[in-house]
Amino acid sequence: MTMKHASIEDLIDGLAGELEPVRPRRVLRGSIWAASGWAVGATALLWLLGMRSDIASMPPLSLLSFWLIASAGIAATWSAVRMGLPGVGRDYSGWRWAGLAALSLPLAAVLAGLGDSHAATEAIHRGEGLRCTIQGLVAGIGVGAALFAWLKGGAPTSPTRAGWVVGIAAGSAGATIVALHCPIDNLMHISLWHGLAVAGAAVAGRIILPPLLRW
Amino acid sequence: MSIDEPSLARLMAASQRGDRAAYRSLLADCRRWLERYYARRIAPHHVDDLVQETLVSMHRKLATWDSSRPFLPWLAAIARYRWIDMLRRQRDVAELGDNDAAVGAEDEAVHARLSIDRLLQFLPPGQAQAITLVKIEGASIAEASRICGQSESLVKVNIHRGLKKLALMIESE
Repeated sequence: MTMKHASIEDLIDGLAGELEPVRPRRVLRGSIWAASGWAVGATALLWLLGMRSDIASMPPLSLLSFWLIASAGIAATWSAVRMGLPGVGRDYSGWRWAGLAALSLPLAAVLAGLGDSHAATEAIHRGEGLRCTIQGLVAGIGVGAALFAWLKGGAPTSPTRAGWVVGIAAGSAGATIVALHCPIDNLMHISLWHGLAVAGAAVAGRIILPPLLRW
Repeated sequence: MSIDEPSLARLMAASQRGDRAAYRSLLADCRRWLERYYARRIAPHHVDDLVQETLVSMHRKLATWDSSRPFLPWLAAIARYRWIDMLRRQRDVAELGDNDAAVGAEDEAVHARLSIDRLLQFLPPGQAQAITLVKIEGASIAEASRICGQSESLVKVNIHRGLKKLALMIESE
């Protein structure tokens, strides 16, 4: 026991001896990283593929979908950034509510699809669909990488949950970027193919990130 | 010397600015806090290792404390992460030695807040009992099996599942 205590003393001496000043990490800095990740993804995608021509006068339904997905993305990003700064009793669950709100999109699509199955089938089978999903996944990499880097330098105490949340944030970011490019104003298309980017990124985040985020 | 939140926060703020003397006293205080924190959570012969691991983690993650927030919840979050991590690493090492019963520790409001009992309440009774007997009180799998009437393999399964749930819960606590 005495030896153990002596070794803790040594450890404390060693740690104190190598202390250097650190710059405290603030939520604001993580948010700026994530915003930069979004800007990089958006610039790359829109530079390569162009912006939809009627961006200033998007139909209300597309605009509503955009903001629902954006709010889920912002809430997930906020939660992910906060997860990098640990603290017992902190609440990281804001993204769940925004995610629930965004679920109204696929719900509305299902209801609309029940009413008009022909339009639904067409929306599902149109070739652009999968392309939108892939573009969304790629465009979200900027936010995903920024949040990953932030958490890697931080101290997430639940790597599994952090993986989910980073995935949702990245996928939602990608889906909002695709919405600036994709000219299709069909609720079914947005819910299914753009939504698939969010779901796909969430699953990828859950599978890939937890082992990399352990510390 | 008592370990109180305002002085810990002051020492931590000074440590982040590179004040080694402040950091040394902070680490000494944290060590005492951690020894008490872990005393009721893990078999005694693991306490020192866990305290050391936590101090090293704290050192590596020094920048993740935000001075506008209290210090002890930050330390507790890191302590709990390291604790769960150690329990997970141990879960295949089923047999613990004799005399592993955890020693008592002083009561403190913050300890009560973070009490293992509160976490265990959220687990099914079989899992909570298996974890308490083997991981906290230091019984062997065979002893735990006799005491709670579960088969040895069920005790192991319950520990495995319970720890997995605890790990998921630590952030929502």
